[in-house]
Amino acid sequence: MTANGELSPDTFAAFYELLKPFNKTGVDLKPETRFSEDLNFDSLVVMEFVATVEDRFDISVPMNILPDIATIQHLGLAVEKIVKAAKG
Amino acid sequence: MAGIFDRFANLVAQRQAMLDEGGSDPFQVRMDEVLSQTEAIIAGKRTILCGTNNYLGLTFAPEALKAAHDALDAFGTGTTGSRVANGTYSGHKDLERTLCEFFNKDSAIVFSTGFLANAGVLSTLMGPGDFILMDADCHASIYDGVRASSAEIIRFKHNDAADLDKRLARLADKPGNKLIVIEGIYSMLGDKAPLKDIVAVKKKHANTFLLSDEAHSVGVLGRYGRGLPEEAGCEDDVDFIVGTFSKSVGTVGGFVVSSYPNFDMLRLVCRPYIFTASLPPSVVASARVNLGLIKNGGALRTRLMRNAKALHNGLTEAGLKLASDISPVVAVVAPDPQTAIAFWRGLIDAGVYVNLALPPATPYGYSLLRCSLCAAHTEEQLREVVAIFTTVATNLGLIERRTPRVALG
Ligand SMILES: Cc1ncc(COP(=O)(O)O)c(C=O)c1O
Repeated sequence: MTANGELSPDTFAAFYELLKPFNKTGVDLKPETRFSEDLNFDSLVVMEFVATVEDRFDISVPMNILPDIATIQHLGLAVEKIVKAAKG
Repeated sequence: MAGIFDRFANLVAQRQAMLDEGGSDPFQVRMDEVLSQTEAIIAGKRTILCGTNNYLGLTFAPEALKAAHDALDAFGTGTTGSRVANGTYSGHKDLERTLCEFFNKDSAIVFSTGFLANAGVLSTLMGPGDFILMDADCHASIYDGVRASSAEIIRFKHNDAADLDKRLARLADKPGNKLIVIEGIYSMLGDKAPLKDIVAVKKKHANTFLLSDEAHSVGVLGRYGRGLPEEAGCEDDVDFIVGTFSKSVGTVGGFVVSSYPNFDMLRLVCRPYIFTASLPPSVVASARVNLGLIKNGGALRTRLMRNAKALHNGLTEAGLKLASDISPVVAVVAPDPQTAIAFWRGLIDAGVYVNLALPPATPYGYSLLRCSLCAAHTEEQLREVVAIFTTVATNLGLIERRTPRVALG
């Protein structure tokens, strides 16, 4: 899976649910929605959201990748990659 | 063209809104005179200090003052150099030897602050292919340190040994070393790490090491003040202890101690050790003397804990919401940042200094009036602190106005 791949509909649906409580202003969520500019997340909220994603998918998302994550698509693809690697 | 500070516009606006309300600025307090470990003159007013992390009150210990004066006269006001150039004096080596004896470890490295100790050690201890598993509530200096590391960084849930275990288990087939990073006492809420549980998890997994930042627990916990590892009886299982001289030790500086083989080689690679000037000789001399006082400071620790209990109970009985258990850090929760700021201003105007701690620097988004106790606080001072907290909170409508109970007998 490359960073440019398509996000699977299942992953997006899962993110859609997880983002609901974080989506304070009712932004229309799409794969290209940006955490910082569109959802107004600060770095702390990003961390908090990543923690809920970790729980949902039962994975660890390394902090090192966060600087490269701007959109739902970016994080979703990273999660798919981690899940796939964990299954071996 | 965009201004270079445009991206901070929100922050600047928030700050301006706070100043526009009038009253003093919680982040620009100026002490014009320091009367003792527990009192200072702020804005012309005698103020009780209840938020200085000066847990044992050693900032005016006569023995440390004398040693500092002597070192100042003998060695001058500063070293003007790095530890690896002209900045290592006999005092720095004596202090490192004292730290080894104090913690019963083979090596000690002194840095210019605790922040730099974390920055240096965490950026270099683990390398490519290794992993750092840090408690999510760790201090900013730990976050900055690990960010400069080439290891993979994973956060686990605050004080949750089971979550740590799960995350280590996922790395079981990775060959790299793993470093667990925790704090003995967490600075904002004063809660302790579940060290025994974390040590048990560490022992379950191969190639796994443990580092504890004992910034708030050295001098405070343990019969001899060696912090949480001493109190919990697992000193041999904590591979690296980072600490600071800026709290119980009553001066400034940082250190790391360890018995790991060849640990001293970190001096060759820690940039925050190499590329900054070393501590002034007077600071080094006072730190060394105060470590001796800490070791024999059982009576101070007893007084500190008595004071911790008194303030905790007093504020709880007054009806305030606390986010801390009985500990030398007492965290009073305000409903929101605006109320916290008004609360803080009420306290400072009435002569009590505490720390105002707002999100994002606080866990769970709390807005806190963070108090820290000192062994030198008197019962009378603490009664006054409780009375002033009660008045201010009542005026803000946070607690109900009550008729004072009359003590009988
Ligand atoms: C947990 C923790 N680690 C490290 C530090 C940094 O210590 P220093 O003041 O020596 O830089 C602090 C204090 O600010 C702290 O609370």
